[in-house]
Amino acid sequence: MDNAKDWFGYDSLAFFGKVNASISHELKNVMAIISETAGLLGDLSEMARGGTPVDPDMLISSTESIIEEIQRGFTTIRQMNRFAHSVDTPVVSVDLMEILDLVRNLSGYLSFAGKTNLHTGEGTAPMALTCPFILQAIIYQAVVLTFQNAGPGAELDISVQSKNESTWRILFDGFSPKEFEVFPDDRITHMAASIGVSIDWDRSSDRLEIDVPVSLEGLPSRPGSPEMQPGGNGSRNRA
Amino acid sequence: MKVLLVDDEQKFALMLAKRLALREIQTEVFFSGEKALETVQQGNRFDVAILDVKMPGIGGIELKRRLGLLDPAMKFVFLTGHGSKMDYTAGVQEAENYLPKPLQIEELMETLNRLTEGPTAAADLDG
Repeated sequence: MDNAKDWFGYDSLAFFGKVNASISHELKNVMAIISETAGLLGDLSEMARGGTPVDPDMLISSTESIIEEIQRGFTTIRQMNRFAHSVDTPVVSVDLMEILDLVRNLSGYLSFAGKTNLHTGEGTAPMALTCPFILQAIIYQAVVLTFQNAGPGAELDISVQSKNESTWRILFDGFSPKEFEVFPDDRITHMAASIGVSIDWDRSSDRLEIDVPVSLEGLPSRPGSPEMQPGGNGSRNRA
Repeated sequence: MKVLLVDDEQKFALMLAKRLALREIQTEVFFSGEKALETVQQGNRFDVAILDVKMPGIGGIELKRRLGLLDPAMKFVFLTGHGSKMDYTAGVQEAENYLPKPLQIEELMETLNRLTEGPTAAADLDG
């Protein structure tokens, strides 16, 4: 394994760790609310045992709160599962909207995240034979940087359109690029190059453009490029 | 005892405030550091501020610094959902007390009582 490949591997691992840390934080918040609500129910039970009247509405709202948080926890675990399985097959045919949807959900676990709106284009789903994990890492970093600089009240609009028959273009709108000139840094540039993705600012319209090749097949081999799945035909492998 | 509770996790904050209220602790809840600062700037005073470490905008550590300038007598407790060593170290250095989430209410009560050295927090629930 050459040095470039080692470096690339570390960045991917760092991304995986960062996302999992944010998911664990979200789950801890869910557990904290359930814990406090169960504690409140315990408090109310103690009061009732001591002869103090307990408001039934408090019991109902507490129970509902626990149910809601359990659902939130399940939703978070579903996203965690999607993310975990995104490394199953290094290169696979994916719907870019699914990648964006997962990134939106994962970035939503960050305390400073604002709202991300996904806009589906007309026509067929934007399918691409790519490395979903690396593409996620690139888009995730773009979203994170956006909200780090724009603040929690910011809204980000992301859409996908066909640039030409061999390229999909992912567009970030809704903020000014002047504070985001650090993106992409060398690491993201390296990761993007490994899967043939290019990142540019369109300064005339204040938007970020991420160009994704429709297929990695036929691209020149680069150091650190993920291995193509032999006979890969786009099937997914999710639990 | 009058407590300022600041946490962007709204349900958690409201639930904790209810539990503190059952223990006869008057709690005002804010979901952002900015709003909490405003109320203290307007002259409202609190014995203890319970602050979440990680919040959008003004985080708990910075909020403690600013609140301390407005009211040097205020005591502080940090809450955090993060379990990293870095956060723990920051909490210990920046506040008199640090409590991880999920919270143990008894531990929080002991902390509040110790900080204020008063008997008010020890009220019986069935009283």
